[in-house]
Amino acid sequence: MAEQQSANGKPVDPLDPWRQMRDSYMDTWAKAMVDAVNTDAYAKATGAMLETCLSVSSPFREVIEKAMAQALQHLSMPSRADVLSLAERFTNMEMRLDDMDAKLDRLATPAAKSPGAKPAAKAVRQNRAKRVRKGAR
Amino acid sequence: MADACNVVGQLAGMEDKIMSFAKAVTTKIKIDQTPRQLIWALNKTKIYRYCPVLPEEKRHRTPLLLVFALMSRPSILDLRPGHSYVEWMLQRGYDVYLLDWGIPGPEDKDLKFDDYVLEYLARAVRKLKSFTGVEEFSMLGWCIGAILATAYAALRPDDGLRNLILLTAPLDFSNREMTFAKWTAEGNFNVDRVLEAFGNMPGEMMDAGARMLKPVDNYLLNYMRLWDLLEDPEAVKGWQAMNTWVTDTIPLAGGAFRQLVVDLYRNDRLIKGEWFLRGERVDVSRIKANLLTIIAEADHITPPCMSKAIMDHVSSKDKEMFLVRSGHIGLMAGSSGPKVTWPHMDQWLSSRS
Repeated sequence: MAEQQSANGKPVDPLDPWRQMRDSYMDTWAKAMVDAVNTDAYAKATGAMLETCLSVSSPFREVIEKAMAQALQHLSMPSRADVLSLAERFTNMEMRLDDMDAKLDRLATPAAKSPGAKPAAKAVRQNRAKRVRKGAR
Repeated sequence: MADACNVVGQLAGMEDKIMSFAKAVTTKIKIDQTPRQLIWALNKTKIYRYCPVLPEEKRHRTPLLLVFALMSRPSILDLRPGHSYVEWMLQRGYDVYLLDWGIPGPEDKDLKFDDYVLEYLARAVRKLKSFTGVEEFSMLGWCIGAILATAYAALRPDDGLRNLILLTAPLDFSNREMTFAKWTAEGNFNVDRVLEAFGNMPGEMMDAGARMLKPVDNYLLNYMRLWDLLEDPEAVKGWQAMNTWVTDTIPLAGGAFRQLVVDLYRNDRLIKGEWFLRGERVDVSRIKANLLTIIAEADHITPPCMSKAIMDHVSSKDKEMFLVRSGHIGLMAGSSGPKVTWPHMDQWLSSRS
């Protein structure tokens, strides 16, 4: 049984007209929705919805936070605030270390720039490159 | 008769197709695979150096620092082998470095653009220069990364920045008809209330916001496109890679989000020259680096009008604006990337590196 072929030689797909209709409908719908979300009414409605969600959830959130802090205190465990403060202190220490790293670089740079000391400066850079941590993959 | 056979055949294959579709949608594939080395880390911020593939004598001398947005993973720059901007640039002899902002934790909720630009980016540049031993460098900023790069170029014009490439840079917020401007307008969106509840702006909320700009495209047509592509394994891989990146959302530090909404979207302070970071005015007229601004004509997140104004404000003698017929992400990660955007960037940068 010979397969029906279109003018360009490809087999005729009976679902093609349906696909074309679907695409054209979707295209129109997509454009209409882009216009709809770009209105003040939509912006106000989503803003109000978000405000309501946050207002309703806020008292529950506060109660849970208080209860959790009390429970952790009774168990002699660090609270969220304690952990956050530790993290901040670590960042400050990292900053100080980075400052020291900058100072070391400044000390190494004049050596790198003097022609006679070129190999040594290169070695400093290479050693430092070796010391860097490998990226986690 | 032939038509009927065709329909029956298609229906019989439907079950397999549904299974393949479900698998493609739910499977994350490996992205971000170009070999790299961590050279610096501070808090969550890291600099990676991508391993060069050309010998030193064939490479450009000026290193290229990639600065991506704060609210998405930078893996879009290295999507998958054979379709990776990073890989492509390495093959053309660039020494490529990535500034990865990482994922802010609750302890980072107060981080602002001030910190990102004048603390993290400034220190990262110092490290880049000391590591490479080169005083000049090129910087590419994309989306919010372009705001950071622009602010840095304006605040530290003598810090060795030779070439500045801005991709879809949201810098001019004067157009009040933009969808994001309407959504974040005072009275429509209570930024303090959101940040009081979450600390940082949740990635899922920002992702939903970006998707709602084109709801039918993102929530429906995207999946219909996949359905139509199912018989092409390469195309499915491409779709999955993009989906893996899109669904990998990260929060934006609360302080930076507040500035984005209040200082930029509501008050357009950057281009007006009224934006202050740590007391220093961000004056874009101080930018003197060679400038290439790349704009996506069909960008719905950063409409072209947001990126064009910078050209009239900077002092750079060497400046160019390049328009690509593509979208916000498509200009780099879509077919326009390797065909149009990347080659143009290479052509511009190679003579200046």
